[in-house]
Amino acid sequence: MIHSAPTDRLLTLNDAREREALAKIARVRAAPKRFRDERITMAHGAGGKATAALVSGLIAPAFASPALAPLDDAGLITIDGAELALTTDSFVVRPLRFPGGSIGELAVNGTVNDLAMVGARPLALTLSLVLEEGLDAEILRAEIEACARAARAAHVEIIAGDTKVVERGHADGMYVCTTGIGRRDPRARLSPASLAPGDRVLVSRSIGEHGMAIMLARGEFELDSEIVSDTRPLWPAADALLALGDRLRCMRDATRGGVATVLNELAVASGVTIAVNEANVPVTPEVAGACELLGIDPMYVANEGTLVAAVAAEAADEALALLRAVSGAEGAAIVGEVSADETGMVIVNTAFGGRRVMDMLVGDPLPRIC
Amino acid sequence: MRPDDAHCDDPYSCITCSDAAVPMIVASIDRDIGSCTDAAGAPHDVMLGLVPDARPGSRVLVHAGVALTIEPEGAP
Amino acid sequence: MKFVDEFRNAELGAVLAGQIVSLAQSDRHYKIMEVCGGHTHTIYRYGVADLLPANVELVHGPGCPVCVIPMGRVDDAIAIARDPRVILTCFGDMMRVPGGSGSLTEAKAAGADVRMVYSPLDALRIAQANPGRDVVFFAVGFETTAPSTALTLMRAKAERVCNFFVYSNHVTIVPPIRALLESPDLRLDAFIGPGHVCTVVGARPFHFIATDYGKPVVISGFEPLDVLHSVLMILRQLAEQRCEVENQYTRVVPYEGNSQAFRVLADVFELRPHFEWRGLGFISQSALKLSAAYADFDAELRYSVPGVRVADPKACQCGEVLKGVIKPWECKVFGTACTPEHPIGTCMVSSEGACAAYYNFGRLTRRHREPERELV
Repeated sequence: MIHSAPTDRLLTLNDAREREALAKIARVRAAPKRFRDERITMAHGAGGKATAALVSGLIAPAFASPALAPLDDAGLITIDGAELALTTDSFVVRPLRFPGGSIGELAVNGTVNDLAMVGARPLALTLSLVLEEGLDAEILRAEIEACARAARAAHVEIIAGDTKVVERGHADGMYVCTTGIGRRDPRARLSPASLAPGDRVLVSRSIGEHGMAIMLARGEFELDSEIVSDTRPLWPAADALLALGDRLRCMRDATRGGVATVLNELAVASGVTIAVNEANVPVTPEVAGACELLGIDPMYVANEGTLVAAVAAEAADEALALLRAVSGAEGAAIVGEVSADETGMVIVNTAFGGRRVMDMLVGDPLPRIC
Repeated sequence: MRPDDAHCDDPYSCITCSDAAVPMIVASIDRDIGSCTDAAGAPHDVMLGLVPDARPGSRVLVHAGVALTIEPEGAP
Repeated sequence: MKFVDEFRNAELGAVLAGQIVSLAQSDRHYKIMEVCGGHTHTIYRYGVADLLPANVELVHGPGCPVCVIPMGRVDDAIAIARDPRVILTCFGDMMRVPGGSGSLTEAKAAGADVRMVYSPLDALRIAQANPGRDVVFFAVGFETTAPSTALTLMRAKAERVCNFFVYSNHVTIVPPIRALLESPDLRLDAFIGPGHVCTVVGARPFHFIATDYGKPVVISGFEPLDVLHSVLMILRQLAEQRCEVENQYTRVVPYEGNSQAFRVLADVFELRPHFEWRGLGFISQSALKLSAAYADFDAELRYSVPGVRVADPKACQCGEVLKGVIKPWECKVFGTACTPEHPIGTCMVSSEGACAAYYNFGRLTRRHREPERELV
């Protein structure tokens, strides 16, 4: 053991100053974000800090709506005793088709999933298309069919829509926007601010597949096994977890910004620390290898059919069993634990035996993937 | 990675600051440019001017488009 | 091809950590500097410092060739990029570095044609594909990267490309280390040497650290086990009162360096008499410009740029961080006015800069585990 010595006292003093500096930074980070940028850059679309500042600093304050304030995956509104959820999403994917899916599927599943994550059974969607002049009609036909198939698989109807055309050179083929409405399940007691020390965090399947599938489609990767987008409707998994009642704290689909972004949002909303055990996070070797090559942590890579759930400690094993019984979630895992060590922070216990912080994204390592 | 795909700035991987060197295998050589594949099977054009002994099948360490050295056989 | 998981093996790490604890004298505080952003990244990414005893401290030095580029040089690159003839190409690393009034990312958002590349060869190919435009490559990096620029220029010359130019900001590793060692502010015990720079220049250029300044050097690989092993080798030298340049990265680094690299660098580049390093001031013979034989490709000769020396913002303490004199969190603006999303100085811009690495990964209450002491 280290003996007490003059140099040790110096170290202790330094540690106190470091803790002070860290506390000051924590206060700065907790302050409401302001939007001060002069121009929109690609970083604003990444789902990380710039996006957060844009939404919290410019957009949300302008609408001053209590239903918007939690900035959850969907907004909740009660009409004549019926609790409804409403959400919208736009899809600007390049390329339009990729291993495992296409923009049409993403557009349906993405909105269905935002409803599922607030515990609302998806009911109906609208579909808005912005088409580029010159788009091959066969491509459009294929995407419309993809939307229809995905809607049937998710048990939702597309009941209204719109179509616009813009000149050649805009819209990268097509942009798609879907809006969805769902009915809140009475079992849902969900809030991102409800995580408590001792809670466990689960993911429903191996991570990072969608973002890497897009990279595959853009570059000329040749892998022995394919990486395929994980796009799928998440209502079956959400429905299964809702059986936990108030032992299910919150669910989020880990889209732009990946699992890391979701965990940071939850840690900040609840004022807790989430510690992730790196060795327990399910990542396929193909995704791990591709991420390594690109210098990206798979925790930041977008998914389109993977959910993150926070549950009470005593419900963790049950939650895992419920998820693993759902098709597509057989690889679910418990990846982390909530504590009160620090406020609003995500920490990784590295497989090597050390620890590091896992903050929100700053820039955009993989643009135009969803 | 194609230059015209690169719309993003990548704040999580600084090629020069990290002094990163990626292992690749030389697939074929055309004069001084090797067509190499990385661990994901992606092809890269790599300048071989610093490793004149490189042959198809050589394992090279690549930084910013140049092979710095040939890794010996049996190296992990 | 295997992935390098065996080098990350936690069990081996614990063994090395145990040996380090045994060897570290409890009444001594060791300060070991690494001068390579790759090592900074490894240390933070894997939490290597958590495995060291509290009296073995890793200090991050000026190993970030992006971090040391003065703001005025970035302004010059932006001025070049604003020329409508020009396509400015650079590594992603440079795009967020703030100049006097904005970064290349912001210039791009305002309409300049700025494109990210992974290799100068990509930039040359853009030039060949766009004969009506001028393509300028914003070259940065130490001796690991300069050969890539040099080989590309040789190729451009051989293929008679007339619309490709290089704006050279290459710097060399030895002068800033020497400047650090001369500095009175600093008390260091040893250095961890930059593995891939040494693949090019070899181990020889670092001998002066041991012979002239009496500090051990261990040239290290980049996996966390490599770094731990290098720390152990340093502690062994100190315990045995040896002072040498040792090579931990023998699988890759040749003692004499790469003779081809010396040849191409000598052909394409020459040393500038002096160059300003952000935070370190002017250092002589520390940077490269294009030689006379390659004057036709020199962007500094082709474009007239403001060339204004922009002083660092008063609040910026990057210089002291780069020298290892203060820790990132000791900088008055760290984490408050200067954050990764709104960086004031380059230590925060580059992901391997000491401040960014600490902010993104290391901002934790330190908890040193005390591994089982091993009988050595």
